[in-house]
Amino acid sequence: MSGCGLFLRSAAAARLGRALVAFTASRRPLRTSPPSQAFAKELFLGKIEKKEVFPFPEVSQDELNEINQFVGPVEKFFTEEVDSQKIDREGKIPNETLEKLKSLGLFGMQVPEEYGGLGLSNTMYARLGEIISLDCSIAVTLAAHQAIGLKGIILAGSEEQKARYLPKLASGEHVAAFCLTEPASGSDAASIRTRATLSEDKKHYVLNGSKVWITNGGLASVFTVFAKTEVVDSNGSVKDKVTAFIVERDFGGITSGKPEDKLGIRGSNTCEVHFENTRVPVENVLGEVGGGFKVAMNILNSGRFSMGSAVAGMLKKLIEMTAEYACTRKQFNRNLSEFGLIQEKFALMAQKAYVMESMAYLTAGMLDQPGFPDCSIEAAMVKVFSSEAAWQCVSEALQVLGGSGYMRDYPYERILRDSRILLIFEGTNEILRMYIALTGLQHAGRILTARVKQLKQGNVTTIMETVSQRVRDSLGRTVDLGLTGKLGAVHPSMEDSAHKLEQNVHYFSRTVETLLLRFGKTIVEEQLVLKRVANILINLYGMTAVLSRASRSIRVGLQNHDHEVLLANIFCTEAYYQNLFALSQLDKYSPENLDELIKKVSQQVLEKRAYVCAHPLDWTS
Amino acid sequence: MRLLRLREVKAFFQGHAASHQLGWNWIPRLSLSPKGLKILAASLSCCGCPTGKGMSWAQAILLARGLSRGWGGICSTALTGAPFSQVTPQAPRGLHCSTAAHNPDSPLVPRPPEPQRGLVKALAPHEELFRQAPDGVRDKASFVQAVQNFTQYNVHKRGHVDFIYLALRKMREYGVERDLAIYNLLLDIFPKEVFRPRNIFHSIFLHYPRQQECGIAVLEQMENHGVMPNKETEFLLTQIFGRKSYPMLKFVRMKLWFTRFKNINPFPVPRDLPQDPVDLARLALRHMEPDLSARVTVYQMPLSKDSTDATDPTEPHIVGIQSPDQQAALAHHDPARPIFVEGPFSLWLRDKCVYYHILRADLLPPEEREVEEIPEEWNLYYPMQLDLAYGRSSWDDYEFNIDEVEEGPVFAICMAGAHDQATLAKWIQGLQETNPTLARIPVVFRLSASSGELLASSSGLEETPLTPPEGREEEENNQQRQQQSQS
Repeated sequence: MSGCGLFLRSAAAARLGRALVAFTASRRPLRTSPPSQAFAKELFLGKIEKKEVFPFPEVSQDELNEINQFVGPVEKFFTEEVDSQKIDREGKIPNETLEKLKSLGLFGMQVPEEYGGLGLSNTMYARLGEIISLDCSIAVTLAAHQAIGLKGIILAGSEEQKARYLPKLASGEHVAAFCLTEPASGSDAASIRTRATLSEDKKHYVLNGSKVWITNGGLASVFTVFAKTEVVDSNGSVKDKVTAFIVERDFGGITSGKPEDKLGIRGSNTCEVHFENTRVPVENVLGEVGGGFKVAMNILNSGRFSMGSAVAGMLKKLIEMTAEYACTRKQFNRNLSEFGLIQEKFALMAQKAYVMESMAYLTAGMLDQPGFPDCSIEAAMVKVFSSEAAWQCVSEALQVLGGSGYMRDYPYERILRDSRILLIFEGTNEILRMYIALTGLQHAGRILTARVKQLKQGNVTTIMETVSQRVRDSLGRTVDLGLTGKLGAVHPSMEDSAHKLEQNVHYFSRTVETLLLRFGKTIVEEQLVLKRVANILINLYGMTAVLSRASRSIRVGLQNHDHEVLLANIFCTEAYYQNLFALSQLDKYSPENLDELIKKVSQQVLEKRAYVCAHPLDWTS
Repeated sequence: MRLLRLREVKAFFQGHAASHQLGWNWIPRLSLSPKGLKILAASLSCCGCPTGKGMSWAQAILLARGLSRGWGGICSTALTGAPFSQVTPQAPRGLHCSTAAHNPDSPLVPRPPEPQRGLVKALAPHEELFRQAPDGVRDKASFVQAVQNFTQYNVHKRGHVDFIYLALRKMREYGVERDLAIYNLLLDIFPKEVFRPRNIFHSIFLHYPRQQECGIAVLEQMENHGVMPNKETEFLLTQIFGRKSYPMLKFVRMKLWFTRFKNINPFPVPRDLPQDPVDLARLALRHMEPDLSARVTVYQMPLSKDSTDATDPTEPHIVGIQSPDQQAALAHHDPARPIFVEGPFSLWLRDKCVYYHILRADLLPPEEREVEEIPEEWNLYYPMQLDLAYGRSSWDDYEFNIDEVEEGPVFAICMAGAHDQATLAKWIQGLQETNPTLARIPVVFRLSASSGELLASSSGLEETPLTPPEGREEEENNQQRQQQSQS
């Protein structure tokens, strides 16, 4: 329908450094219009916002050609010149590799063109991420530099700050780092100890404190630092609030600890950074004084979506390598690939890669829409899904490879180690699940307030309405949200899957309503419930993404679109039954709901801080 | 044969008449059902005892048991004039099933039936067996030696029941009361196969009651010391008494209930308590403190043992415990409100009683309590609270039937060798090192006498608890007692 129209982008090419083509994404001023209604939030109310997700976001043929011209040399560089094994073993990315990355312009992919960056749109950034992730250490170094390190300046910096810092950061002359985590503060902003005090002449802030686990901490010369400052409230009381600062290494008093020895991503530089009486000019406050919390939240929320495509890129490569092995290794005069249990693993890997790719590009496309939409839930879902799928798939791949997967001579064990961090950084998956569920429930709760109140007060019409709704539901009526049928958004070959999605969405919204009625605002404490809500939502989003993408592939007539239909149908069916199970677990008295037992067990274990059971060989006396 | 059987019954009953003074304390535990007793009575009467005397034995058995089960009121009249004068005085006590508990120094083992005058001499030789131990060493080896001497010296095992009762009483002295092998050795004294019931009537009646009771006594002592019988015990009991006997019943019940009661205490105390008072205090404090990250600090070590007198009142031990949460709570305590040192309170660890003191504050009045508010900018990743107008529905509110009595916070616990104010002030001083705010908070000492009951009962132990402070803290001189702990 209006596929290309969503991408209002002039394809003016610009030369940067070497013969590189960059794309001017229409850089929008921040927050010009209210954010449009996000797709995921509406799922909580049982609605599928079709125009957000159908048709699948597209780029024009010209843009595609240009990005492919750019992707080519980067891919060549990564496959031919980057020695991942050496990087992993030595724990350092060689300087010449870094120089090459800089000259390719990869340090300023999302920096607007007027500041010397490539100014890539989110979709293009995701596309490049696929290739960069062929080496996880480099991917993490680059992400720490631009997805979080300098993102603050792009999102919240003033014109002067942008003009001063972005060009050098985009060219890679300066490397950026994001300094938020402290020994006592992970996601808890209230326990930040680093402090910035205004000097006598009110021209400087004096920064003191230390930050830990800072990626690029040893390389960076520009830091985005979050510190507590005293802020006078509107009512005159003094409060400690978080403020963001741009700190240059040249300001003095900055020392980095020795690089940490890590399980994976060993080539990236992670260390402690200490600030001792570092004098930061007041012009270097990022955003408002006391507004650092919002800055940090925006940076963290904006950086997540790219993990989907990055992991997909890595997985595609892994599938190639593993399939090569499975088709050549012979046992009992048969290739491994002829065994059902091995075949199953490849189907799983292909399916996961397909889903995460679809989710990632759908989200990137949504983010590229005009109006600066708030897609933080979607981005978080992409992150959670892709990181867990990565771990699962890499593990299955190792299973196919058997012993050679475990040996250091082969790259597989490194990929396993590298992919473990994905579940932890940028917000652990547990925390992100809370975010996904709570943000959606907040939205649904606000809209349902009137209804819930009427139900609680015993309004007869509302109660009758609800009861009749429930009765109709229990009689197994067909749910039709308009995805299929004549001129439907989903291709008829996936009609069943679309119905499954519709049905899941419908019953999900019913469950959400019940949950809100049961728990109200105290649902914050019900983390097991929230986890399931998040899981269902992730599945729903994945289903939508694959249906949308496969439908587009059929209509455009892409190669092997029947394979896509297969993958989409497999995923939708699996996710449908998973959702049904999770929904039944959310019922209060269902036999599937084991929350009480689980809570009891964990309580007893944690009380003793040990495994409770006696040894199986023990006697009473 | 019949004569012999009757003698057995008589001996049994004589034994029981005596053991009735101890309240028949094995019967309630075995819980013979009244139904069983009736059957016993019925079968006794129908077995056709030719003599009226036999009849009355049977009645007496029934009646005496009935007494112990609280049927005394009904049966006591029937007993008057019965040939057992010992029983009648017991009749009013029939309702108390266990009188043994009233007698503090009675051992848990039922006393052997008090021998009649003529039998007193018969006991003496067995006593000598235990005195024979060379150079007075009393250990497992000498105990085993004594038992072996008995079996060798007395091939016919005459008086073995008396010997077993004696041996049971001696076990503690020899420190073998928890040794399963010794119990099995004692059971092994019984002649095998002799007491096994040979027909249905044997098993209906108490076959060789005195021996069976003795067997039960052995098991009883095992029970009291928490010794679990094993396969060998079972084998011995089947050999001696057969499967359908009361010792076997007791054995089966022990097998069943031991497994259920052995670990019924969720806060187990080690069997052998440390002798050193500091170690004991450490153990007791850990026992009381639920928080595993709490730290035990020894504020003062007692004077070393080699000095003239170990319990020098000037340097008693002071051991305290405090968890990080308690430390944080103390740091937030309003210095305007006093905190209290209270105690001594008693704590029993197996057979030892120790005393502790607590540092606590009163509960804040509701109007002064700060409502803990969730800061606006707290969690970087997800909202800590939802902005919704409605809360949990009563359907999911499980708090409704929980009645909680709130108490003031306890900041620390200590155990000291002396319970006077000077010693406890040292503890407070020691606490100040880790809790600087304590220096600004007034500390009131509210020390009371420890309860006399506990003192009396633990006086028999080798380590006598230190006497509580003589000077009572009175309310009127509280002001003087209030210590700015800097002083």
